[in-house]
Amino acid sequence: MTTNRHDHRTLAEALRRRVLDGPGRTDRATRQAMAERAAGGPAIDAPFDDLARQIGASAAEVTDEQVARVLRSTGSEKAAFEVIAAAALGADLLRWQQGIKALDEATDALA
Amino acid sequence: MRLHEIERGDGLFNRLLIGFISLVSRMRLPDAARVAFYHKEFFSSPMGAWTQAAMRGPSPWSVSERELMAALVAKWNSCAFCVGAHGAVAAKEMQRTAVDAALVDFRAAPISERLKATLVFLEILTLRPMELTAEDARAVLHAGVKPEALEDAIAVGAVFSIVTRYADALDFAVPTANEFNRAASLLLKRGYAS
Repeated sequence: MTTNRHDHRTLAEALRRRVLDGPGRTDRATRQAMAERAAGGPAIDAPFDDLARQIGASAAEVTDEQVARVLRSTGSEKAAFEVIAAAALGADLLRWQQGIKALDEATDALA
Repeated sequence: MRLHEIERGDGLFNRLLIGFISLVSRMRLPDAARVAFYHKEFFSSPMGAWTQAAMRGPSPWSVSERELMAALVAKWNSCAFCVGAHGAVAAKEMQRTAVDAALVDFRAAPISERLKATLVFLEILTLRPMELTAEDARAVLHAGVKPEALEDAIAVGAVFSIVTRYADALDFAVPTANEFNRAASLLLKRGYAS
């Protein structure tokens, strides 16, 4: 596998598509809302809002209770994992896009 | 670990596999590896593919330089598990003193100027992504880093921000220094693809 520009962008998009648009134990809208909220987007329904916001702001400060509330609401550990993964992905696909945007603007100006 | 099914494994095969690996390696399988076995088709497979490309694919950056970038992203995100895990892998091919110095203050550490310039960019990307500008990217390019190399570093930064975020949200158990060191040898040899 090579790591040229096309590959990282393709791999990032494949990950986004699978986790946010693909099938799962949770509905796509919930995963997408978690991702947007963790990236600084609008508030969503409880108990998801609190966990998504915390994962985006500082995951090291996530509490047992925040995860337990989401687990009770989703009804399964796989479903809770899906929304946690979606939030983590949302926060950092934002970083990926910001980094690539800065790089592209810098290299476009050189071209 | 806040989700117990990840810790014990989903399905009989994964439970046996986790038990077998722990037995053979004579240490508790780290939680990062347990996540790699869990709900694989949904997350671990596409995440593992990108992580493997970023960390082990061909790149102007050495494996240890990329592992050091990962350890610093973990530090900026306050993720003790990932600082320990990736600092230990970096130290397999780099002086431990250089890794420790970089984790304290990378600007004063005995590492290359191109790596320092890239870490300045990754620090902004991790902590203040909306403040990142083309000027920040130009500063890295002016330090002698090729655009392709900066893109590789951005991929490392993004991938490890994701990892640190779910590691902390799930509350990964933090191994001892000795366990990190042993796990690092396996991670160096086997990589990240799940």
